[in-house]
Amino acid sequence: MGLKILKTRLGKIELETPIIMASGTFGYGIEKIDFIDTKKIGAITTKTITLYPWKGNPQPRIYETYSGMINCIGLQNPGVFYFVKNILPEIRKKYEKIFVSITEKTEKELMQIVKIISKENVDAIELNLSCPNFEKKRKMISQDPDLTYRIIKMVKNETAIPLIAKISPNVTDIKEIAIACEKAGADILSLINTVKGLRIDFKKMKIIDGGLSGPCIKPIGLKCVYDVYKVVKIPIIGIGGIINGMDALEYLLVGASAIGIGSGLFNNSHIIDDIYFSLIKYLKENKFKNVGQVIGLLNEKD
Amino acid sequence: MENKICKIVKNEKLGNFHYLLEFENNFNEDFYPGNFVHIKIENNFLRRPFSVCKFNKNSIIIIYKVVGEGTEKLSKKKKGEYIDVLAPCGNSFPIFKNKKIAIIGGGTGVAPLIFLAEKLKKYKNEIDFFYGAKSKEIIFFNILPVGINYIFSTEDGSFGKKGIIFDVFKNFFKDIKKNYHIIYASGPEELLKKISLFSNKIPVFISLERYMACGMGLCYGCVVKIRQNSDWIYKRVCKDGPVFNAREVIWD
Repeated sequence: MGLKILKTRLGKIELETPIIMASGTFGYGIEKIDFIDTKKIGAITTKTITLYPWKGNPQPRIYETYSGMINCIGLQNPGVFYFVKNILPEIRKKYEKIFVSITEKTEKELMQIVKIISKENVDAIELNLSCPNFEKKRKMISQDPDLTYRIIKMVKNETAIPLIAKISPNVTDIKEIAIACEKAGADILSLINTVKGLRIDFKKMKIIDGGLSGPCIKPIGLKCVYDVYKVVKIPIIGIGGIINGMDALEYLLVGASAIGIGSGLFNNSHIIDDIYFSLIKYLKENKFKNVGQVIGLLNEKD
Repeated sequence: MENKICKIVKNEKLGNFHYLLEFENNFNEDFYPGNFVHIKIENNFLRRPFSVCKFNKNSIIIIYKVVGEGTEKLSKKKKGEYIDVLAPCGNSFPIFKNKKIAIIGGGTGVAPLIFLAEKLKKYKNEIDFFYGAKSKEIIFFNILPVGINYIFSTEDGSFGKKGIIFDVFKNFFKDIKKNYHIIYASGPEELLKKISLFSNKIPVFISLERYMACGMGLCYGCVVKIRQNSDWIYKRVCKDGPVFNAREVIWD
């Protein structure tokens, strides 16, 4: 949009706006939706891709909660080969910056997909470290600092593309995980992923065990970004419960260099315009020259 | 797909739990039978999807049953108030010409079929509309297109034949030996399953219902198993559907 005031950066990556579409809630960004102005989007993160196609979980996959929703989609995706051949060229037509989210169940498969993506014209790889059953360990990679370090190190050795580590809030101390990511060479942090949650569907008498998102998790996300900003030098993408411009501003003030929109789009169809215009309005009214001046304004590095 | 704020023309109660909601059509796009609208519910995080029952340049009609807090809140909306509508969503029923057609609907599932029947009538199709309901007071007589042969059934016998609409259809089919070219159906999944397994000669198109989040094909929350080659994949009801060729659906 040519407006300097909203330009931000994630390390070497320059973004026209700090508005990023988070992974999983925007598909591959290629559905035709008239009211979304793609020019206001700084970058799109794709729905997570795996090496081979994943069918995903059976129904029900979603359930509304107070001020949010639980999902257990199960990373349904057509696999990296189909993605690279058929989807990526379509995304390239629409977006300036593309972050490709990836995950896998084993180290070997993960390295294969990294190799394949590294040959493509993408702006960053986002490593989804919340795959729940990595190497049959019954936990997420990002719940173990040593494993997190090792995996990121391996991926970094395999690719020259900037690496984003997306980590889970379901840990005792998220700072410890964030530090492990930075030490291993991650270029950017995405936090937070969904918070583990559960609901009962009485009609079907079934449990929905999945990831909680929406405004109900915003305070958790903000606290994680606030804590992590203090202990790392790499930039942070703040995600979790953003539904309007003021929510986005909160994340910037505690240290996020950009923000991710997730399920907030389902609640507020105009979320992109809302954030875009209200950030500009806030910055101008408060005499800030650019968005960089508010990033971390209410926080300090340790 | 557009997002508009629409003024309510009517939000009328029918029977104990059913409502007919009519709102002004502020959309630029045309709607086709099978399309749905995704309506925002105040102070709820997610929208609620409803099949379009009638559409013209002035207004759009949906019919719904109060089943939870979302529809409960919607039922409290008054004429003159506004609703936030995302539409038109989803695909639509394929339309044919000069065919013998059976339309089978149960409960609020008849909504998209009413829109469909109106469209099919314009294309000179011969239509038998099998309309099943729990009882007479929740049959939407006022909005049924004329010039169509209706066969009603109610579970309590208060109107038409007593019983389940699928049995009525099955008996009718047996007695009349009518050679339908196409069957369309919408309603409870049990009914759709029975219809899709009823004949392997006649093409059957069905409209499915699911809990939905985005309604735009983005989140993959509302899926159904669809045959693909020798395997199957989960397709999105909100984007690849809600209308599917029943033969391709795998029933769990």
